[in-house]
Amino acid sequence: MSAATNDTTITTATATATNNGEDLGRYFLERSRLSSARGPCDMDEDEEAPTELNTINSSGGFLVVSPDKLSVKYTNVNLHGHDVGVVQANRPAPEKRIVYYFEIFVKDAGAKGQIAIGFTSEHFKMRRQPGWEANSCGYHGDDGLLYRGQGKGETFGPTYTSGDRVGGGINYASQEFFFTKNGAVVGTAYKEMKIPLFPTIAVHSQNEEVHVNFGQKPFAFDEFEVQERMKLQMTIEKMSLPTNVSHGIVRSYLLHYGYEDTLHSFDMATKSTVPPIYVAQENGFDEHDILYALSQRKILRQLIRNGDIDAALGKLREWYPQIVQDDKSAICFLLHCQKFIELVRVGALEEAVKYGRMELAKFFELPGFEDLVKDCVALLAYQRPQESSVGYLLEEAQREVVADTVNSMIMSTNPNLKDSQGFLHSYLERLLRQLTACCLERRSLNGDQGEAFHLHRVLNTAGLS
Amino acid sequence: MLLFWIVIRQLAEIEAMATSKKVITREEWEKKLNDVKIRKEDMNKLVMNFLVTEGYVEAAEKFRMESGTEPDIDLATITDRMAVKKAVQCGNVEDAIEKVNDLNPEILDTNPQLFFHLQQQRLIELIRNGKVEEALEFAQEELAPRGEENQSFLEELERTVALLAFEDVSNCPVGELLDIQQRLKTASEVNAAILTSQSHEKDPKLPSLLKMLIWAQNQLDEKAAYPRINDLSKAMLEDPAV
Repeated sequence: MSAATNDTTITTATATATNNGEDLGRYFLERSRLSSARGPCDMDEDEEAPTELNTINSSGGFLVVSPDKLSVKYTNVNLHGHDVGVVQANRPAPEKRIVYYFEIFVKDAGAKGQIAIGFTSEHFKMRRQPGWEANSCGYHGDDGLLYRGQGKGETFGPTYTSGDRVGGGINYASQEFFFTKNGAVVGTAYKEMKIPLFPTIAVHSQNEEVHVNFGQKPFAFDEFEVQERMKLQMTIEKMSLPTNVSHGIVRSYLLHYGYEDTLHSFDMATKSTVPPIYVAQENGFDEHDILYALSQRKILRQLIRNGDIDAALGKLREWYPQIVQDDKSAICFLLHCQKFIELVRVGALEEAVKYGRMELAKFFELPGFEDLVKDCVALLAYQRPQESSVGYLLEEAQREVVADTVNSMIMSTNPNLKDSQGFLHSYLERLLRQLTACCLERRSLNGDQGEAFHLHRVLNTAGLS
Repeated sequence: MLLFWIVIRQLAEIEAMATSKKVITREEWEKKLNDVKIRKEDMNKLVMNFLVTEGYVEAAEKFRMESGTEPDIDLATITDRMAVKKAVQCGNVEDAIEKVNDLNPEILDTNPQLFFHLQQQRLIELIRNGKVEEALEFAQEELAPRGEENQSFLEELERTVALLAFEDVSNCPVGELLDIQQRLKTASEVNAAILTSQSHEKDPKLPSLLKMLIWAQNQLDEKAAYPRINDLSKAMLEDPAV
């Protein structure tokens, strides 16, 4: 092969690598911006729960709702089946959770005790008992029967009357209604409807009076959710795992991100336990991709974590010039930003300004870059930037973002890469994404009802929930 | 005959309903996966939780330095906990009991079952070392009174003492008590008790999450065909069988 052709090959290869590298740098930049302080992570926690009774859409004329909108009284004389006093909650039962529950207290069972608790659809006929019409369900006090829109009640539980606390709930995990009386479960019934359902109470004879509790006060029955979670956890714990699979995943994580010192300690420890754990052999995963340039990745991570960005850039220029040759690339941008942040951290503001003019000014107005560059410059505006809205830049996590990006960029330069996407995500991340996606997909196939999976929540509570 | 055909048709309908799963292609699924945001610091915490709970104290220290992740427990307590665990694993049960009491005397005081199991392990070690007289004395003085309090302790005690009745213990029905597994069982019991006393969960979260992944995939199988991860140790998506 002539020298000329050889040169061309190399140039082309570098060009391709640079292009890929640029995309990759961008990918990590965007990802870090999304998951930074204001990232949209736990959106469905905002779902609002019912707080009071809806006085506008109640069957006016038959009942009176108290001024606090938490109790009702039947003020008419009932004559037929179409003069029931019905009132719904102001909002439907929230769905993106494991259980919803509310309670009533029967202050006065009135002339006939024809009280009901249940759930109804938005356009329920407000002169009928819950359970008498389609898309509704009700547990009735006078006969203890459960009505589910079939015209006829089903044997269900005891009757209830003055002084009783009765609860109605939806278990989204099992798609069931459940009702309680004085703190004990009366029974459950399968919930066929997947539409939003409003907590509903009904009174239907003279002087019947009922108070409702949407959680403002402690419930007579409050263990249901705990029990449901325990049941679920027990089911999950019964699944069997291959031996030492966790060890293998932790090991590949340490390799992937270049936590080399941790890896060595971990390997030493697993080999000296009784009995020793031989991770790599047992799981047989292909380590070549994540072993690539391990010690160089470790050194760069250390430099970045120590805030020594100049040294990190120096090493990169020496070892992987192709990664940093384009000074307007996302990776150079991240490193320059970090250098600026480090200067602010140590209070070298004048130097920071100078550095910013020299290295960051060119990124203003560039789509994808301007968001971070603006936040960086905003650090200068505060006497105590740590406490400002851009204080997140001074946290350890920001250094980690830069270190992770450099780490992946280096992995992508591996000429013998087996898995072309391998450097993007560690095994652990892939598994956690799969878990999250499965839970979300299952919920969406369940009419968007039930709880999603949030790693963040799992980490901050006991057990899996 | 007519009835027969009706039944057949109904069965076919039921089957069709049961098999009409939503099919999610690899492309669609990868898009969904890409929308999932997992925070790096959360993954770091998960790894730290594993190292700490499993007792890899040096690795946990290194990981704190390399990743800046703070452990959810005082690392010094891991060293003590692992020393106890190791003592049991090596058969130095007396030493282990002393160490647990140094750590927190309440652990054994409030956990009679654990204390019994440690004493039982001590008896097993005496028998293993051929100290027959000492073993008998220990069983009668220390273990028998506890057996009177609790029927299952008594049964365990009798089972252990039965070791003395065999010349060749490797071939006797209670020989498994002399197995290394018995030590490991006792060691992990004491390990869990120490963790609980430090108000830390006794199991790491990672294995539970992996089990949850298996469970979640099984659950979704009922409703959809989608790319699965069948081999957790490789974390590779496998195309749905359609």
